[in-house]
Amino acid sequence: MSLVNYIYLSAILFSIGGAVVLLRRNAIIVFMGVELMLNAANLAFITFARMHGQLDGQVIALFVMVVASAEVVVGLAIIMAIFRSRRSASIDNANLLKA
Amino acid sequence: MTFLVTAAAAEPGAAPAYAWLLIGLPLLGAAILLLGGRKTDSFGPLLATGLSWASFVLALPLLFAMLGRAPEDRAVEHVLYSWIRAGSFQLDAGILIDPLSMSFVLLITFVGSLIHVYSLGYMKDDPGHVRHEGHTLSAWEESRQPSERRRFFAYLNLFIAAMLLLVLANSYPLLFVGWEGVGLASYLLIGFWNHNPAYATAANKAFIVNRVGDMGVIAAIMAMFAAFGATDFAGVGAAAAEADTGVLVLIGLLLLLGATGKSAQFPLQSWLGDAMAGPTPVSALIHAATMVTAGVYLIVRSAPIFNNAPTAQTAVAVIGAVTLLYGAVVGMAKDDIKKALAASTMSQIGYMMLAAGLGPAGYAYAIFHLLTHGFFKAGMFLGAGSVMHGMKDEVNMRRFGGLSTFMKITWITFGLGWLAILGVPPFSGFWSKDAIIETAFIGEGIRPWLLGGAALVGAGITAFYMSRLFFMTFHGKRRWSERDYHPHESPPTMTVPMMVLAAGSALLGLILAWPFAETKPIVAWLEPVVGYGGSEAEPVLAIPVIIALTLIFVAIGAFVAYRMYIQEDVPTTAPVGSWGTQAARADLYQEEVNRTLFEQPGVALVHGLEHTDRSGVDGTVGGLATWIGDLSSRLRRIQNGFARSYALTMLTGVVLFLGAVWVMQ
Amino acid sequence: MPTVFEAPEINWAAIAPMLVVMAGGLIGIVVEAFVPRRRRHSVQVALSVVALVLAFVALVTLTVDNRVKTLGGSVVMDGMSVFLQGSLIVFGLLGVLTMAEKFGGDRPDAFTPMGAAIPGSAYEAAADRAGLATSEVFPLALFSLSGMMMFVAAGDLITMFVALEVLSLPLYVLVGLARRRRLLSQEASLKYFLLGAFASAFFLFGSALLYGYAATTDLDGIAAAITETRPGLEPLLVPAILLVLVGLLFKVGAVPFHSWTPDAYQGAPTPVTGFMAAATKLAAFGAILRFVYVGVEGTRWSWEVGLAVIAALTMVVGAVLSVTQTDIKRLLAYSSIAHAGFILVGVLAFSTLGLRGVMFYLLAYGLMTIAAFAIVSMVRQGGTEATQLSQWAGLGQRHPILAATFGFLLLAFAGIPLTSGFTAKFAAFAPAIESGTLGVVLVVIGVLASAVTAFVYVRIIVLMYFSDATSEDVVAAEASPLTTAAVAVGAVATVVLGIVPGPVLELAAQASELIR
Repeated sequence: MSLVNYIYLSAILFSIGGAVVLLRRNAIIVFMGVELMLNAANLAFITFARMHGQLDGQVIALFVMVVASAEVVVGLAIIMAIFRSRRSASIDNANLLKA
Repeated sequence: MTFLVTAAAAEPGAAPAYAWLLIGLPLLGAAILLLGGRKTDSFGPLLATGLSWASFVLALPLLFAMLGRAPEDRAVEHVLYSWIRAGSFQLDAGILIDPLSMSFVLLITFVGSLIHVYSLGYMKDDPGHVRHEGHTLSAWEESRQPSERRRFFAYLNLFIAAMLLLVLANSYPLLFVGWEGVGLASYLLIGFWNHNPAYATAANKAFIVNRVGDMGVIAAIMAMFAAFGATDFAGVGAAAAEADTGVLVLIGLLLLLGATGKSAQFPLQSWLGDAMAGPTPVSALIHAATMVTAGVYLIVRSAPIFNNAPTAQTAVAVIGAVTLLYGAVVGMAKDDIKKALAASTMSQIGYMMLAAGLGPAGYAYAIFHLLTHGFFKAGMFLGAGSVMHGMKDEVNMRRFGGLSTFMKITWITFGLGWLAILGVPPFSGFWSKDAIIETAFIGEGIRPWLLGGAALVGAGITAFYMSRLFFMTFHGKRRWSERDYHPHESPPTMTVPMMVLAAGSALLGLILAWPFAETKPIVAWLEPVVGYGGSEAEPVLAIPVIIALTLIFVAIGAFVAYRMYIQEDVPTTAPVGSWGTQAARADLYQEEVNRTLFEQPGVALVHGLEHTDRSGVDGTVGGLATWIGDLSSRLRRIQNGFARSYALTMLTGVVLFLGAVWVMQ
Repeated sequence: MPTVFEAPEINWAAIAPMLVVMAGGLIGIVVEAFVPRRRRHSVQVALSVVALVLAFVALVTLTVDNRVKTLGGSVVMDGMSVFLQGSLIVFGLLGVLTMAEKFGGDRPDAFTPMGAAIPGSAYEAAADRAGLATSEVFPLALFSLSGMMMFVAAGDLITMFVALEVLSLPLYVLVGLARRRRLLSQEASLKYFLLGAFASAFFLFGSALLYGYAATTDLDGIAAAITETRPGLEPLLVPAILLVLVGLLFKVGAVPFHSWTPDAYQGAPTPVTGFMAAATKLAAFGAILRFVYVGVEGTRWSWEVGLAVIAALTMVVGAVLSVTQTDIKRLLAYSSIAHAGFILVGVLAFSTLGLRGVMFYLLAYGLMTIAAFAIVSMVRQGGTEATQLSQWAGLGQRHPILAATFGFLLLAFAGIPLTSGFTAKFAAFAPAIESGTLGVVLVVIGVLASAVTAFVYVRIIVLMYFSDATSEDVVAAEASPLTTAAVAVGAVATVVLGIVPGPVLELAAQASELIR
């Protein structure tokens, strides 16, 4: 199978992630959408590394994973805090700040 | 247009570095008085007066040096340091001394110093003043307390420094700094008696209306920068010669907006009458002789722009003509002596604007009238102050009358100013106003008839209302009782400046327009800066005819006033009057118009910022601003508080960004 | 396929400032764990200040003479890095001073005693009684700052991505720690976080595509790859560049990626807002400059117009939206959006002078912003910040000096002559005019937009001086020397950079070199 198909897959995953961010209300699911987008990028990195015959892309993917996990920690903490004060994880409920 | 001579010869010579002291000395005075605290109470006013005179004395060697040079080498520049450098763009903070700025420097420092002297007397508690038992200090009396006097003189010095910076700046941004400085000083001085809410309101009004004008200047500077990449006078002058007319018209109109704000010209004139709330010496210095003429200076200094932008130039002339009639009509109905003088100032500056709008033929006369007006109007304001001083701060002319026997010096000096503003030969107003009227009659088609006609009619009305003012104050029956008032002449510190200014009112015109010289000295003096094109065109009427007509109009105006205010008794309370009088008293309802245009949004802003959500247009001026406010309220709806919709905005942005770039490829 | 990793050369002197700041943050965490609660605050403040001063000293003694590429090209310490890192350290110092302000209380005034507690709960009240304080804001600020310093010096896209996250994550937390109006603060934090993560996903995907195109994430490598033809890969290039730019433009708050700005600025504790507005903007522009000037300038013609449209939109939308704002923090947020647009105009000059102008602008803008937000944090009604504009009415009569300083800073925002705002606008716009028609068009738009914003600022001045107070109890809190110092530095710098900008412009000119 051609490596290009992996690029297409990663683009599709990225779009699905974007759609999740736009369509879902639950903050945790929205966040999962973002993670999907990051992982789509990872897939692209690895595929390109394979195409170019390098290791760089794979190493980068590891970096991204580390960063993403740090992001998860901070993100979940923020979502937890807001869930506890509002008794809801819906991001549409949090709209006091506007205009 | 072959007669165009653009400003400032290409490479001005170097001015001596001490020229900066012109600005520095009064600024130092202001700093000492403001920072020195009560320690300077005793000598502060004298120090301020001394420094103001020092500035004048310092200007003299510069003047003589300038006279010693050939006319085309008279402009000199001194660059203090390089203010901003960005690429090939370079802006130096420097001063430009040429005949135009020198004329202003002399006017500002001389008249300004005289008014400092006058204030020494005016702001001093008068021992002859009757103090009743149990009488609490009025605001006016309080202002004569030592520390308040110190503050007053500090502001006066600050004003002198800022005004000198305005006229000496070699670039628009630096000019703007002075422009804002005089605005600040004017605001501080109008609101000087700020315990009185009405005075504070007047200060506010002056501030707000002036900001509208300032926006024009800022926008003009930015437009120059965008279009020419230069903002110094030399650079703009060079670039304007080959710039697109549309751009020049835009810049010209923006500058005109700034000038109308500062010089109280239609439609931004409403603040000047209210600004009379300030102490009278302030009215004389700032709101008659110097600051309000800064708009005229701005227009004349921008000659290279206006010369190539005929539309903007015509707009200047029309604004001037409208204002000169407007001010004259309002002046006919005012009973408050200072407000009547303020209306007259407006009208006279209208003459200057008109002249400035006539192009190279008129620039020199605009400045000429500005100088003579600086003398006679300041003199009359000081006279009014002297009358008020003797009449317990009464300003209503219906309560004056027959004062000529009690204050002889004031009467004579005021009378000379009166003759000058009427344009009676050989007093100075005759030479300068007549030159403007003659020039207004130059041109083709209906234009000279309209502009010249307005100037001519304005002269007649001026004669009427100034005579009315003079007669009501000094002649006719006494409309005050000996029990309440003890009119007396003012002390020499006040009368001497009045006498000096009166001498100027009488003679300055003759000197500057010496009729036996080939070209008038003032024209020859200013020619290297503003050019002169009047000699090539003839007015549509013969000059003697114009002079005769003017004098006839003036005589009629003065005679009508004589009949109405000397031969007949003046009622002490104003009669209701015809609708015309009422309209004029109400500033031709401009106040109402302004309230709708400016004040209502302003008031709404002040009292109802919370409500901006609903209306979204509060605090805005005019249609464009309304439109922006409207747009703003619409755009705000996109910011709806939903994180997902923000994400959608971003994604849309990404898609459009990608799509647009892809399409362009 | 290379099989062995070689350890990269490390020039320690060059990266010393970053290491010092990072070490300061790490020691701060240890302090948090071991120092008694009573003394934690003062120790943390002292530690942060010492770390920042040391970092600055390291920068001016060690780094200036070691302008190199190091760490295998992933960190580039050139003139721009040095100038921007120096500015960042100054912002950090001023930011720490404002964050430490207690306003006469016994703990930092702006921050909640317990970030994890439910607002209004008994737990929160107990934490308050116990005198808890979130002194961890100082290490968080230091971490964020170290990320920013790395961001402006990052020589490849992955370092840039890591730096982006290192600077963002602590900020997300800081935004949510306001003491009062907790719900707003938490909401701001959530929005900033989700949208920030969303934007960094775009950045990362763009980097992946660029890696696919160039077979390297190194900016030099990308620049070299652009000059060659790469069969089959060409379609990747422009979308990749745009996606990376989106991630960066999000951080500067450019339209249409600006939506988070007003919400996050309003909800965050005010000292954090000031720090964020000044430092994040500077760091993100540093990264944009490096990415655009070093990495992808070769293909500039294909995306330049797109970026110009974004700059124009940013100026116009920022200016127009500030007209109807009623909250001072939101208003300053929209003004910061408009400023981002003005700075982008300078970026689009594509010249050394443009680089210099942008750097000067960033420094001047940051200094005035921190001072302005510090003043906002001082104006109170009933112990809470009075952020409604109507509450500011008549402030000039009660606090003339404070109001005058704020008014002056507003004039600087508006770009009035004799303020640093004016000089900065000139420095950024003049090179743009020289760059060609596109630049002239942008400058004209910028000039019009600044006229609109000037009107907005003057309205506030009028409000402060010429209207009567709506209520008597709006007062300025008695500030400690910390805040006073921050305001004074900001205001004085605004004057000095307006009147004698020469030396700093000269410094920026010397610093406007990029090592490729």
